[in-house]
Parts: sequence; C-alpha cells; structure tokens
Amino acid sequence: MSALSQLTQKPWIWAWLGAVSMWMIITGISGISAGGQVLSAAASFGTFFVIVATGQMFVITLGPGNVDLSIPACMTLSATLAMKFMNGDASLLVPGLLISLTVGLAIGTLNFLLILLLRIPPIIATLSASFLYQSTAIWSNRGLRVKPPEILGDFAVAKVLGLPVLTIVVLVLTLAMAFMLHRTPFGLSVSAIGQNIRAAKLAGIKVEKTRYLTYLMCSVLAAVCGFVLAGFSGGAALNMGEQYLLMSIAVVVIGGTSVAGGYANLTGLWGASLFMFLLVSMLNTVGLSAGFRLIVTGAIIVGVVAISGRKSSV
Amino acid sequence: MKLTTLGKLCCTVATVALVTGSGAFADTSGKKIALSNNYAGNSWRQAMLTSWEKVTGEAVTAGVVASADAFTTAENQVTEQAAQIQNLILQGYDAIVINAASPEGLNGAVKEACDAGVVVVSFDGIVTEPCAYRIAVDFHAMGKVQVEYLAGRFPDGGNLLEIRGLAGVFVDDEISGGIHEGVSANDKFNIQGSVHGDWAQDVSQKAVAGILPSLPDIAAVVTQGGDGYGAAQAFKAAGRDTPIIVMGNRHDELTWWKEQKDANGYETMSVSIAPGVSTLAFWVAQQVLDGAEVPQDLSVPFLSITQDTLEESLKTTQAGGVANVEYSLDDSKAVIFGN
Repeated sequence: MSALSQLTQKPWIWAWLGAVSMWMIITGISGISAGGQVLSAAASFGTFFVIVATGQMFVITLGPGNVDLSIPACMTLSATLAMKFMNGDASLLVPGLLISLTVGLAIGTLNFLLILLLRIPPIIATLSASFLYQSTAIWSNRGLRVKPPEILGDFAVAKVLGLPVLTIVVLVLTLAMAFMLHRTPFGLSVSAIGQNIRAAKLAGIKVEKTRYLTYLMCSVLAAVCGFVLAGFSGGAALNMGEQYLLMSIAVVVIGGTSVAGGYANLTGLWGASLFMFLLVSMLNTVGLSAGFRLIVTGAIIVGVVAISGRKSSV
Repeated sequence: MKLTTLGKLCCTVATVALVTGSGAFADTSGKKIALSNNYAGNSWRQAMLTSWEKVTGEAVTAGVVASADAFTTAENQVTEQAAQIQNLILQGYDAIVINAASPEGLNGAVKEACDAGVVVVSFDGIVTEPCAYRIAVDFHAMGKVQVEYLAGRFPDGGNLLEIRGLAGVFVDDEISGGIHEGVSANDKFNIQGSVHGDWAQDVSQKAVAGILPSLPDIAAVVTQGGDGYGAAQAFKAAGRDTPIIVMGNRHDELTWWKEQKDANGYETMSVSIAPGVSTLAFWVAQQVLDGAEVPQDLSVPFLSITQDTLEESLKTTQAGGVANVEYSLDDSKAVIFGN
C-alpha cells in the first residue's frame, strides 16, 4: 500500500500512466499486433521529442523565466546548412555533423550573450534571435530540400529487434544525462540555481557559467536533432522545427519537471514523449478532429501545470 | 545626331511594344507595383518569391513598369500585414499585389488602398473586399480530381487514407471538402483514416506511422501536397505494400515516383498549385494599370502531372523545389481574357 502511494508521488508516473492508457486504447481497438507496431513507431518518433526536450528541461530547471524558444529555428538552420554542404555525399558526413554542431554552439553562445550582456529576458532573447536564425536558413538555401546522404537516412531509420537504433542511442544519452544531472557538479548546480538562485550564489556556484553551459547544451541538442531528423525524413525543410516549440515544453512539463525550476525529471521525459505521440495516434485512430486534439493537448498542459504549481506552494 | 536619338527612341518603343504586346504601350512604364506577402517560411513560398523576382525583374528591365518590390511580413499576422499595406499606400505604389494572411482581416486596409486609387490584386490567399481583384485557386476541385483519378484506377473502389494540411486553415477545409465530395460521388471508396500532415513531409510521416497499424489494407492515399514522400516513407517503414499515393509536385515526390516507375511500373498522379501564380497576379495588376477591362474574379488552373508528363516535369523542376509555371504577359492575357 505504501509502495503504491509512494509510486503516485513520483512526478513521472502520470506521463507513463497516460502513455500506457493511450496504448491500451489503441490496442483494444486495433488488436495486439497493431499495438506492437504503433509502439515501435512511438519509440521512433518519440526519440526526436526526447532529444530536444532534454535540452529544454535543463534550461527550464534553471528557474522562472528560463526557456529556449529558438529550438525550431536552430533545428532548421543546422539541418539546412549541413544538408546543403554534404549535398548527399556520404564521405562528407563527419564535416556535415561538425557544421551542425558548430551551428548549435554558435546559437547557444549568441542566445546567452543576448541574455547576459543586453540583459534581455530569455523568453524574448531566444524568440527574437530565432528570427535571425530562421532568416539565415531561408537566405542560405531558399527552402530547397536537399537529400541527406543515404547512410544518414539508413542510420536514422535502422532497427534492431524491432527497436530503432536511434532510440537505443538516445536511451544511452538519457542515462548519461541522468548521471550528469544527479552526480556531477554541473547538474547539481543547475538544480540548485533553480531552487534558490541567491543561495546558490552564496554557496559559491558560478551561476552565469552554469547558465551558459545549459543554453549551449540545449542548442547543441536541437542542432543534432535537426541533423538526424533531416536524415530521417529525407531532407531539411524550412518548417521542419515548427512542431518542436510547443512539444519541447509540453513534454518537459507533462514529464513531471517543475515549471518553476529546480527539479528535473528525465524518466518522465520518455513517458511524456511516448504519450504525446500515442495521444495523437489514438485520436486519429478513433477519428477525432485536429481541433479536438489541440483542445485535449492544451487542457492536459494546463492541468499538469496547475497541479504541479499547487504542490510547490504547499 | 538627331537621327540616332530618333533611332534609339524608335528602337525602345519597338522593344516595349514587343514586350507589352498589342494595344496601349508603355502606359505603365512609370508605375510602381508592390507585393505584400504574409509568409515566406516554406519552400512553396520561397519559390513564389523567386518567380516574382525573376519575372518582374525582367519586366522592370524592359521598362514595362518602373518597379516591382516584394515585401514579406515577419510574423504572419493580420495586423502586421494591414500596417504594411498602409505603408505601401503612403509610399505611393500604384498597385499592390497581396497574398493575404486572412480573407476578411485585411479588408479595412484594402478598402483604404482602393479609396486612395491604388489597384489591389489578391491571389492564393485572397481577400473578400469587393474593390480588390481576386485570382483564386479552385482548391475544392483539386481534392475532387484526385478521387476521380482513383475511380479510374480502382473501378471496384477501395480503402483510402486522407492526409490533410494545417488544421484551421481555409485551404485545408477546401481540399478536404473536395475529396469528401468525390468520395460520396464514388461510394465504393471508404476513407478509413484521416490525419493532419501540415503540408510537411516529416509531420506527415509521423502522423501516418501513428495511424497505419490500426488501418486495414489501404489502396490509395489522397493528399494536399508536400506530404506524399513522407507517407511513402511511413508505409515503407511499416513494411506495407505501397499504395497509390497522390503526389504534390515537390521535387522529392516526383523523384520518388520516377524511381518507383522505373523499378516496378508504379503509376500515380500529382497535383498542386504552381508558385508562379504570383507572376500572373503581377500581370493582372499591370493590365489593370494599363486600362484593360479585367474581370474582378479570375480563377487559375492547378498544375497536374501525369504518368506521361512525369519525366518532362522532373527535368524542369529545380532540385529540392516544386514544379512551377511562370506566366508571361501573353499567358496572363489568355487567362484574363480567355474566360
């Protein structure tokens, strides 16, 4: 009994319960073999949510006002420049990836410089800077869709025992991130800053350095996600990041990470990513409209924020 | 000396007359035309702007009009575009060509422009204000023609999967309405599932992969453009037979179709709007300024690619772009005065 009540106290449990119940509805309607296939698809597409949401989660954990709205533009710019450079040539894969990483590093640095030097709130700094990134992407290739090298496409869709290779790689990444969050000075600093920035400063934590590294990591992950997504879907497109703005925040919040900062949750990130994919699939399977889907998504986010807000005020 | 000047003049006149065709010549050479565009964030819009630059650039060089500048708003907001149109009126443009963020939202600004004597031509995203000219696309027919094609391919009907566009946008409702009308006219077809692909390959791929396990055998996929390649990838990943997927004129879709055709004789059709419709709007504005009688409402045909025209279309489509038709003055006159 107490084990059960302990379990319901876990912030990540609701996302996983949501994912499991969505999966059960789909399986109930379409049968067990369909359930297996949809799970494989959920793992495949949910992985992309997890990559960007991991970065967003660290940023949000820094505390109130910290959010990165430049993720979609960062994905688009990274993928556009890398695909254009490689032009489908597999031998240029490594330099292409380096270009993508450089874009991530540059964007993270620029975001943080705007926040630190010009004292612009992160929400405005990252949103306005994203116009710059998006315009650069438009200017560099005018929306032409360049095919990725075949090997990148093959890697992005490869499966081992029904499980996408990419999912396995990102699972390993998640474990590394969990270690970083809970066992390294950097991860503990992020949480400490989010819990009480004054106390963190007095305790000798280098606040600005930690914030810089966090924004940097978020942009690099977004850039890598754009790179792999372009490989997965057959090329970079100007609107490829559009879905990932709301999704990166929704997945973090639904996954049980505190919106007010200070408490991150990686387990919930996976549950929430699967949940968001399965929710859309379930509503599509049942035949409900997109309008209804948006209402449900909005209601869930508001509900989760309201509940988690109440908990922190107690 | 005098003679050479006269000669030059004659020569210029001849050139202009050649470009503007018959009728009044060079009446518009001092006129300024502006393009007010609400969005540039996808490949179709980029192609639309590129076509505008190319065709109007040639027209300006030839002296048909004085200038033809393109302006795009950053935020795809009605208020922003309304303010932009007001600025264009103040800057003294003689005509404003609009791809509108909303059919009704800009009517106030459009009325102001008309009252100030500015010619307003809307296309693609049209405005309802009566004083403006409208170049509309029959999106409804674009949906219906897909089902009619499939009715020819499958006389006994079959299961369909519908990929829709961006929820809440007028174009999505129109195309989907046409598809559903086509299905009720050919009641052997069943729409087994419907997903939103937002006119983007990656979004379509994701949505189709999510619903596919729950669907029975699918004979064909009806689409809205920019989603066919993603659908094909999702079917492949699920290990299913590839259905007849209606394509949307994108280069990657046509390339995929060509590969399938060469490998196993795959047959389908492709339909979308040519981004070069912006150049038709330009010539309509020019013709109105020239004093021609132009009907207030024009309709522009959509661009279909068939099994026979695939290779040719693929050759003329820019790699990574979308199949396009740019309008010359004569093409435009055929559209304007032909119907």
